[in-house]
Amino acid sequence: MRARGREFLPALMFLLPFLLVLAVFFVYAGVRAVYFSFTDYDLFNAPQWVGLANYRALFSDDRFLTALRNSLLFAAIVTTFQTIGALLSASAVNRRVRGMTFFRSAFYMPAVTSSVVITLIFLWLFQRLGGINYLIAAVSRNAPIILTFVIVMVLAQGLQVLVERWRLRRRLRGAGQQRTVSLLDPALLAVALVAAIIVTTALALLGYLAPREVQNVAINWLQTRQEVPASFPFWLRVPLPLAAIMFQNIFTTIPTYMLMFLAAMQDVPRSQYEAAALDGANSVQQFFYVTVPALQPVTFLVVTLGLIGTLQMFDQVAIFGSSVPLQSVITLAYFVYNRMFPGAQLPEVGFASAAAMFLALLTLIIVTLQRTVLRAEGER
Amino acid sequence: MRRLVTALLATLFAFSWANAQTIVRVQGYGGQDPAIVQRLIDEVIGKGLADQGITIKYEPIETDYNTVLVNSLSAGTAGDVFYVPGEVAPGFIATGKLLPLEGLVDTSAFIDTLNAVFTQDGHVYGIAKDFNTLAVFYNKDMFDAAGADYPNADDDWTSFEAKLTKVAALKPDTYGACIAADTARLGAFAFANGWTTFTADGGADITSPAFADAFDFYSGLVTKGIAVQPADVGAGWPGDCLAREQAAVAIEGAWILGFLRDNAPNLQYGASFLPKSPKTGESGNFIYTVAWAINADTKVQDAAVKVLDALTSPEAQQFILEQGLAIPSRKALSDNDYFKQDTAEAQANKIVFEGASHGNVYGFQFGKVGTDYMSPINNALTAVMTGASDSAAALKQAQTDLNALLTR
Repeated sequence: MRARGREFLPALMFLLPFLLVLAVFFVYAGVRAVYFSFTDYDLFNAPQWVGLANYRALFSDDRFLTALRNSLLFAAIVTTFQTIGALLSASAVNRRVRGMTFFRSAFYMPAVTSSVVITLIFLWLFQRLGGINYLIAAVSRNAPIILTFVIVMVLAQGLQVLVERWRLRRRLRGAGQQRTVSLLDPALLAVALVAAIIVTTALALLGYLAPREVQNVAINWLQTRQEVPASFPFWLRVPLPLAAIMFQNIFTTIPTYMLMFLAAMQDVPRSQYEAAALDGANSVQQFFYVTVPALQPVTFLVVTLGLIGTLQMFDQVAIFGSSVPLQSVITLAYFVYNRMFPGAQLPEVGFASAAAMFLALLTLIIVTLQRTVLRAEGER
Repeated sequence: MRRLVTALLATLFAFSWANAQTIVRVQGYGGQDPAIVQRLIDEVIGKGLADQGITIKYEPIETDYNTVLVNSLSAGTAGDVFYVPGEVAPGFIATGKLLPLEGLVDTSAFIDTLNAVFTQDGHVYGIAKDFNTLAVFYNKDMFDAAGADYPNADDDWTSFEAKLTKVAALKPDTYGACIAADTARLGAFAFANGWTTFTADGGADITSPAFADAFDFYSGLVTKGIAVQPADVGAGWPGDCLAREQAAVAIEGAWILGFLRDNAPNLQYGASFLPKSPKTGESGNFIYTVAWAINADTKVQDAAVKVLDALTSPEAQQFILEQGLAIPSRKALSDNDYFKQDTAEAQANKIVFEGASHGNVYGFQFGKVGTDYMSPINNALTAVMTGASDSAAALKQAQTDLNALLTR
């Protein structure tokens, strides 16, 4: 007991700077916000106790309900795609291939670039005459050529694989060996590629293939209230500008989570893969039956961080700012900011605090739910 | 220990008494403003104030000015004298932290429409430091090449549009005008039709014919292909389109002059009043202005009043005008020699100055909701200009959003 007491004091001393910061900027500020959420307060006049009125007002505020819908959809869609994307890209860069360090660094670039800079770049890509619409137009214009190319390549590959399998079976007949030719055999793929290029070029030169006449694509990604899919009920419709932000957010967050998955993957014992291979598992089966279960704790971490991050998404909305209609991108975090600093009006501190408390509670509930679900899944 | 502290404090006090200068903290925008205010202090007003024992300390706010000001006013850390932009003045006046100026400052020397922007319930809370209005800035060469007459004070919307149509037909990828989906421009055309931002009962009516007519004219310029939105030609704002000769006309204020000086020094441009409404025969305009105001909680009120007087004195305004920085707010300066100069810049400044008393002119101000007022209308403009909606439906939606905003 005495020894513990003696250790306690130095430990406390080391923790003190952090604890002080925590106490002032987190505990004190948090408690104040909880108090303000029950009051009518505008920073200039003394707070008036109003009980639960702010919370009741939240649910009759259209802007708030839109923000809630946007936040929930954003969290659900982005977390799903970023987790799957991170897992897939991690397993892609987890191979021992020459030049892999380059790809690892390249994949990680979006995560180290400032989100403000990326948002500005995307803002330009999503303009009516921006890069994304240009790409869509280019693809649809050259659709006949691209389609021909793909069809020829698939046919060539399929044919080769059939022939090779047939030859292999003849050669191995009676040898008792189990071998086969993969559908994606790299050598055959190269041949198919060359064949496809030659056929497509020849057809194009002979005038059988030409780009289609297509109008310039001018999808209005940002300055619109359009929601997709239009036939869905309110709570399941995604505003188009929010979809643009989702796309950008998935793109920038995948690398960070990829790194976590990658670190965990390298800890999966090789012996498990070897055992699986001996049992005849192919690489896809190995991925689903060895890699994914082994990564379960990291998946939990990634999904938790992803949910928290997406539920509190603020910066991209703030930077998209006036170039998009606010109700198409507003999230709960931005709603809080918007009411706290309404530009020219008196701040609605009480109302904003209530919304902030709601956001905190919502995050807690969702993460707890997710935790029980993933835990149950892991113990199955 | 306590004795040591007392002694230390006493020395400090003695030191500051010996140095009996009153420091007045002045807060304003960042950007180019710190340099301008510093020159104003060094070259014009600093000495006179120093003789009265007053030192100005300018504290620029580089980030979102209004947010910082709200926070510092509520925390009691705001400056003694500070900028109050016209569009947020009603909100700041409502905080009770601005000092009413009657009896302290002679407000009658300043242009009445400017005082009106900072007046609430008969009290004046700010003295406009300068102002701006909108004008039609046009590229003379493009009009010449198209064989169209320059825009002039007699134009109404129909003749103005006809001229722009000629210029737009000149070449592909150049346009008659470059206009953004911005209520801060559209509003001036609606004023020409006799529309006002608020109705008598404090609501807003943007489905009335007066507004809808102006809305159709303004958005029609884009849907008919006569004008283009800046973003669609890769420009940041209309001034950018004008400087790059992508469009022959931009409807902006005198702030465009410095930009053209730097970015298109060889551009032959002119300025004219906004065209008139064919219905009323009047033109409309916005007045954009920023005032100096005094903190109601200041501990150095007398000195702060003297500083405000000096900052808005005829000498200070003459200096700012001659530097080509802004247009003065004093009535007496309207007859200034500067406006008689024959340069494009001085002539454009003259048009902007006279814009304040030309037709139906109102402050760029939207009651306590501030610039939030504009977003529903901006959205409607965008929807119509991009062909996503027709104007009746867009305006109906905007009216609903605006009503929600005003009753919240």
